[in-house]
Amino acid sequence: MTRRLAKALSAVAVAVLATATPASAIDHSKGAPGFCHGDTGVTVVVDFQQLGGTTIVRCLPGATAGTGLDALKGAGFQVAGVQRWGEAFICRVENRPSAVEVVPVNGREKYRELCLDTPPAGGYWSYWHAGNNCSWTYSQWGVKNRQFIPGGFEGWSFSLNATADTNPVPRVAPVRPGTEGRLCNALEEAKPNTNDPNERQQPAPPAGERPREESPTTTPKPAPGTPGQAPAPTEAPVSSDRVLPPPKPRPSSAKPDPAQNVAFTGGEGAADVNQLIKDQSGSSDYAPWVAAGAVVLLAGATVFTARRHRRARES
Amino acid sequence: MAGATYFLPRDLHPGAWWLWALGLAVGASRTTNPWLLLTILAVACYVVVARRTDAPWAMAFRMYLYLGALIVTFRVLFRIIFGGAEGSTIILRLPEIPLPAWAAGIRLLGDVSAESVLGGLYDGLRLATMVICLGAANALANPKRLLKAMPSALYEVGTAVIVAMSVFPQLAESVVRVRQARKLRGGHGGKRFHALRAVVIPVLADALDRSLRLAASMDSRGYGRAGVVAARTRLVTGTLMIVGLIGVCVGVYATLDGSTPRYLAAPVLFSGVVVALIGFRTAGARVKRSRYRPERWQLAEVVVAASGIGVAVAMFATSSVDPTNLNPSLVTLSWPMLSWLPLGGVLLGLVPAFLTPLPQPELERVPA
Repeated sequence: MTRRLAKALSAVAVAVLATATPASAIDHSKGAPGFCHGDTGVTVVVDFQQLGGTTIVRCLPGATAGTGLDALKGAGFQVAGVQRWGEAFICRVENRPSAVEVVPVNGREKYRELCLDTPPAGGYWSYWHAGNNCSWTYSQWGVKNRQFIPGGFEGWSFSLNATADTNPVPRVAPVRPGTEGRLCNALEEAKPNTNDPNERQQPAPPAGERPREESPTTTPKPAPGTPGQAPAPTEAPVSSDRVLPPPKPRPSSAKPDPAQNVAFTGGEGAADVNQLIKDQSGSSDYAPWVAAGAVVLLAGATVFTARRHRRARES
Repeated sequence: MAGATYFLPRDLHPGAWWLWALGLAVGASRTTNPWLLLTILAVACYVVVARRTDAPWAMAFRMYLYLGALIVTFRVLFRIIFGGAEGSTIILRLPEIPLPAWAAGIRLLGDVSAESVLGGLYDGLRLATMVICLGAANALANPKRLLKAMPSALYEVGTAVIVAMSVFPQLAESVVRVRQARKLRGGHGGKRFHALRAVVIPVLADALDRSLRLAASMDSRGYGRAGVVAARTRLVTGTLMIVGLIGVCVGVYATLDGSTPRYLAAPVLFSGVVVALIGFRTAGARVKRSRYRPERWQLAEVVVAASGIGVAVAMFATSSVDPTNLNPSLVTLSWPMLSWLPLGGVLLGLVPAFLTPLPQPELERVPA
């Protein structure tokens, strides 16, 4: 049986080895730094807010449809989901807040994001979206459940000790360079109409059906009691035939102003996330080899000792 | 004197082996890192093989290994069957079976990603390691002597716990015996179904026979004797004990599982211990037992227990320093990383394989 055990162990080891491949940092093979240029693709803005660090703007060029997660990962950002929900709940973007970083959440002063369970409402990545020249909107949908707006914006902003009304808006205006002053032409998104966290947003109607009378938006209020990116239940379901409601008339006061943007980069100089994690965790290149060696050695010793004992018993 | 007699063959206190195995299991529960889990597994297997006796419950250790393999297989299979598309590296494209709207959130088959299969593998490996650690305790510690070593206050609870704990070793022992008997009778291969019937029925009959025999022998020795205690006192004692033990269970669970609310951890654990202690006091006051050849707790037992507790402490210490190490990220597929501290901590569990006396050979064994 010990021989079989050794075989089983080595099979597991081989399975682990075979599926694991090296990964790289901010994935420069995906996406492009800076804003997108055309009506396709989606620009992703990551604002670290109080965590510190330069805001990053990257583009997933050419894409016409996909989820918020596709946009985030496709633009080259390295994200981590909590162990409990997987990538349905993003807990780290570009390794922030890292596992060794203290996040001063009110009431849990020594909180560190371990990415095991849903992060606290006092410190999480809030998820925003906007059409070009529209204002940022706190997402009512989970990152895997909503479709990004082609030519529009996806925003990630770290919310520290904020309430539903004070969630920090990404500090880069959702305006593509060269399109300043144009009208907002994105539809208001339908809210989820069930409590089902797996409900998916219906794809937006083709561009031709869009209403003509467009106006700049006001800053909408995030839904109360929506901790993070999880889709929120709503009291008022939209009409049953799934037709999106017409856009509401909005005052023009809150027009997004690119002049107030904070400094940002395309993430070109961002450190290699995997290298960073390795340094932070103090892990060693040799330790896995030693572990594997110890496992093989112990398995061999187990087989040997078991055989010797059996022989002694039989004689 | 310690030097001369330390390595004389003797059976160690079963409590020491249980502490060691529980330490390893707690350590395994803190991590999903396959390197650490495989090391814990190898350590447990080697110590079992090096220090087990020829007793049937010790020989049944392989059953736990089969159980562990089954757990891992099932975890991975479930990830494949119920939606394994977490992550972006698709390794297998299966046709998805459409489900009605009321089953939203459940997915049958469909794309399978390497990330979710690996997640299932790590998760299953963790559970399998914990189960095998408990199997190691059952293989190394004599369950009958463990009952004997129970403090008299824990007598009632202890009897129930040990009967429950020894069910699996007893069954495994029966399986081994029945299979041996079949082998001796000579092999007519037969159909598989027949072989199953020829093993399962004798095992069940054997288990029933033995429990009746055990009950009769316990009865004749005065086990379960209530003595002259008022019904009310017994009720109060029983309530205190059960409430206390439930509190301890909830508290221990909340302490070990990082994601449960903190108010369930220390406060519940503490109050549970207090209530249970009061119960033990009232229970212990009325049970008087003498003990033949009491188990001794000597230096070797301390070494065994310390090595197990050392593993658990090392894993707790490192998980608060570098959690990335203990729960490898599956978002970007990469080799699980490992640092020296947890690895060294896990290898601490190997100490009993070298620094303990060998078990007593069968011939010189005195009945427990």
